[in-house]
Amino acid sequence: MSAILEVKGVTKRFGGLVAVNDVSFSLAAGEIAGVLGPNGAGKTTLYNLLTGFIPADEGSIVFQGRQLRGVAPHRIVRMGISRTFQLCRPFVGMSVLENVKVGGLAQPAPPEGREAHAQRLIAQVGLSGKENMPAELMAYGDQRRLEIARALAASPKLLLLDEPIAGLGSGEIAELSTLIRQIHADTGLTVLLIEHKLHEFMKLVNRVIALDFGELIADDVPERIVAHPRVIEAYIGGNVPETEAA
Amino acid sequence: MNRRALDTVAGAPGRMANPAPAPLAHARPAGLLGDKLDMAGAAVFVAIMVVLPLVLDNSYLLGVLSVALIYALWAVSWDFMSGLTGRENFGHALFIGAGGYTAGFMNTVWFIDGWWSIPAAMVVASVFAIVVGLPTLRLKGPYFALAMLSASVIMERLMLIFWEYTGGEEGINGVEPLFDSPLSFYYFALAVLLLVTVALVMLARSNWGLVLRAIRGDEATCQAAGLNVTWYKIASLLISGAIAGAGGAMYAHYQMQVSPQVFTVVLTITVITMVYVGGMGSVWGPIGGAILLVMMTELLRDFGEWRLMIYSLTLILILFFLPEGFIAPLWHRFKAWVGAKR
Amino acid sequence: MVEILIQGAVSSAIYALLAVGFTLIFGVARILNLAHGSFYALGAYATYLLTTYDWPLVPAAIVAIAFVAGFGVVMERVLVRPMRRRSLLAVLMITLATALAVEQLLFLSFGSEYRNVPALVSAKYTLFGVDVAGQRLLTVVAAIVLIGLLWLFIQRTRLGSAILAISQDPEAAQYMGIPSDRIFSIVMALSAALAAAAGILAGPFLTVQPTMWLLPVVKAFAIVVVGGLGSIPGSILAALMLGYAETIVAYMASTSWTEIIGVLATLLMLIFRPAGMFGKRAAF
Repeated sequence: MSAILEVKGVTKRFGGLVAVNDVSFSLAAGEIAGVLGPNGAGKTTLYNLLTGFIPADEGSIVFQGRQLRGVAPHRIVRMGISRTFQLCRPFVGMSVLENVKVGGLAQPAPPEGREAHAQRLIAQVGLSGKENMPAELMAYGDQRRLEIARALAASPKLLLLDEPIAGLGSGEIAELSTLIRQIHADTGLTVLLIEHKLHEFMKLVNRVIALDFGELIADDVPERIVAHPRVIEAYIGGNVPETEAA
Repeated sequence: MNRRALDTVAGAPGRMANPAPAPLAHARPAGLLGDKLDMAGAAVFVAIMVVLPLVLDNSYLLGVLSVALIYALWAVSWDFMSGLTGRENFGHALFIGAGGYTAGFMNTVWFIDGWWSIPAAMVVASVFAIVVGLPTLRLKGPYFALAMLSASVIMERLMLIFWEYTGGEEGINGVEPLFDSPLSFYYFALAVLLLVTVALVMLARSNWGLVLRAIRGDEATCQAAGLNVTWYKIASLLISGAIAGAGGAMYAHYQMQVSPQVFTVVLTITVITMVYVGGMGSVWGPIGGAILLVMMTELLRDFGEWRLMIYSLTLILILFFLPEGFIAPLWHRFKAWVGAKR
Repeated sequence: MVEILIQGAVSSAIYALLAVGFTLIFGVARILNLAHGSFYALGAYATYLLTTYDWPLVPAAIVAIAFVAGFGVVMERVLVRPMRRRSLLAVLMITLATALAVEQLLFLSFGSEYRNVPALVSAKYTLFGVDVAGQRLLTVVAAIVLIGLLWLFIQRTRLGSAILAISQDPEAAQYMGIPSDRIFSIVMALSAALAAAAGILAGPFLTVQPTMWLLPVVKAFAIVVVGGLGSIPGSILAALMLGYAETIVAYMASTSWTEIIGVLATLLMLIFRPAGMFGKRAAF
């Protein structure tokens, strides 16, 4: 399998703070990988770099053979990278269906038509019947599903999920994990996800990229990551992640 | 001719504060043209407006209605940009004045036929839209609103300062009317208003409108979804400004003069009040707001000097008690009631 | 040359008084107060009104300032605060509507002719060979004193620290038990008082009529854009820049072009450096 994303030596500084320090890794097409790290490790900054929201100071980011540095964020979406956010941010004042439709507007209309496309995605994430609900009034778990549907509407090749199960109760966590696994299986998308909750995390991904203070400290399968000395040090020495499903 | 309503009134103002709960989205009617009830309502409205002057046969009222139609044009154009995106434009008078003075200059200084003023006004207003909009719409915060305010105030000042060229306080007089008969002008204004409103409503109900409302809903997320948010805002401002400018030119030819009044903050506030009354974000609602407010102004003639005071108090009351507006929500209530009756 | 120096100082002084109050209430409460100019107008008019009742000037001025400060507090409490829950733009709208209502109130009460606010100092002085109205000198001195007092207040008192805390991080300040609502009222009162003082000082030599609120707001906006929203030193510096720029242009070219400077400066700043000279990032 070819690498769909190649990150080489990417560095980002904010004044004196080095948020991301010489990070390199690559993602194969169709992988489902995770980014692990305590608070402040640079995970969200990495996402912001990948999506073009902030410019990298050094290094290169190549997606499907094309250099991403310097490309405007909306072009990057059109090239095939979509992301969700830590805090759900639905379009206020619009229905679920409208939210998903807007997600797809960056791309040309799919052959089935935008409306049908959106309806299909809404069904895929399990929100059927709620198309006309105002997005901001839904339960948080449903808003999470909406976020995912909206990100999928842009027909991405690479889906970046930022703590998709944050703020959910244990039942919802299980459901959402299943959903993510299902989507990955159905669509063959490449998925990268940031997560804090180690337990769920390990079940979902087949590879973990561990960050600490902006540096990549390990890049391996989950079973070996938990035994990795630097990972243990990062967690025991600093923030201890929750190892049980909340 | 058909006009359509949006199925939801753009509700919550922005991410920062707790959004006002949006009304449940009505079941989405097919296509860009709304449902049968909207069509019927529009037809009734058009019929009334066409027949009214013939029935009333009163030249004074005809004048009032004509002015109301032009105000409606300004209000609809404001709502299309600011009502949908939530980026409020506090200097709409900039476009109106640009259009008005363009018409004035072209007609009295360069003696160009009045019919060219309208396209010319649209071009000039568009230039203003780009000059002010381009730097400010890409910024978060109140810069756009205040920059528009400042620009309109400065233009008003400049018209006064360079009085040798602009006629100062008195303005430009002797602008030729477009039509010989006021009745013809009325129907012309009505036709323009209806055409513009239909076009804007269709645009608002299309994917373009979806993006504008998403900008209002959560601009940063809209950007993150891959949409060039700044481009949409500027394009909408261009459309809004060009139409307002055209209205300004029409107004100049109707009043046969242009004065710095067309650049004032009062004019902008009046237009915004009309939008609030009509229903922010509905695009067609401000027509009702304009007609209502112009009629209210006529009724308040006797109060003379108190007129503007009453206006500003009305606006304050509306901001507190009826921020969703009045006319468009009423129509939606009516439609729901009719739907329940079936 | 000396004339420019002095007149420039006078203009800058008034602009500084206006801009500092404007940026202060913004920095602390995130309120862009379009009715700020109304404080300016009310200060002048209130003083004028009291003098028509034969009040001596100094007490009249003090009472006027107190009145305007009170008005500001009431306005914030009754009109602005409910709108803050909605959005920043609702706040802008309500302050704009209030400004118009105040303008109309003044118009209905006093008519549209220019009024005469008597000068606190009617003597003329000669400074470096140039004749200067005492009132203008007073303006400069008073501005320096008032702003200086404000600066000391913010830097040296507990209340001042609270104000700084809120402007840096409103949430954290609340967690620390700082009563933000009360602080907003105090800051609003200070902001209004400064603007009112500007109106009283400038009244004798600038125009006093109901629409006098608008241009100060536009200029204040220009100044805080250049200086940086929320930065007091920035506002002072930008006020100096604008005051002198306008004076120089007025002397060199003509007064007609002075209006454009502020606008041009604003536009250029917004294009190249929206945060202003000292402001934080434009986003908030």
